[in-house]
Amino acid sequence: MHPFDLKAALLAKHAQHVVLIHFPIALFIAGVAFDFLAQWTKQRVLAAAAYCNLLAAAVATVPVVITGILAWQWQLEGQRLKGVLLMHLVLGCASSLLIWIVAVVHLRALRKLGGVLPGFRLPIEALGVALVTLTGHLGGFLSGVNLSN
Amino acid sequence: MRRSVSIAVLTVALATGVGTITVDQKNILASAQQKPETTEVKIDNFSFGPATLTAPVGTTITWSNRDDIPHTVVSTDGVFKSKVLDTDEKFSFTFSKSGTYPYFCSIHPKMTGKIIVQ
Repeated sequence: MHPFDLKAALLAKHAQHVVLIHFPIALFIAGVAFDFLAQWTKQRVLAAAAYCNLLAAAVATVPVVITGILAWQWQLEGQRLKGVLLMHLVLGCASSLLIWIVAVVHLRALRKLGGVLPGFRLPIEALGVALVTLTGHLGGFLSGVNLSN
Repeated sequence: MRRSVSIAVLTVALATGVGTITVDQKNILASAQQKPETTEVKIDNFSFGPATLTAPVGTTITWSNRDDIPHTVVSTDGVFKSKVLDTDEKFSFTFSKSGTYPYFCSIHPKMTGKIIVQ
């Protein structure tokens, strides 16, 4: 199979959730890093970069949540989850919610507060990064990426 | 005359004994064939072990999850399907027909195995 065969990539038999999940994770962490840097250096260009990344991260969570729920419903036939799977689902939903809250805070600040960002967003962003990291760790554990040997 | 009677008695006794032994052997063989066997497939480190298992008809195969993460056992042909098996949970299925039964883990489709029932 050619590595750049678009049709093969889109119609691949593997779960798309494990592919798509990397986009919101990377965008959100990059967005938070830009926002903390913007807060520290007071540079507007960094704040703009943070805004774009955080908004894109929020949008990217939509297909991730959909494919995750579809994987649960199709591959596991909607069985009652427990253990690591349940933890991954709960943390994934909580992470998505936090990503959206952060994005909305930034969006609202730009439109209604003249670009002045509230200070309470920073601990929320830090919590979001912690949750995303934990969810990703569990996801990696479930998929086998985090194998010890 | 006595000798003939003795020979006749011995012959009957031998025939009865052989017959009894033959019947007993048949019973033992039959009971051995009817008794269902149980064989275990271990799930560990993202693999089924043994990946291919050959068993006689009527065998009950038990899959035991020894891994730290959940797995499933799903027949490719839809013959059997387990729920999500957490660590140390088990799933059993009795194979009443001969054939080849490929299966996989629906959470990790690269994990595959095969049961050959003869």
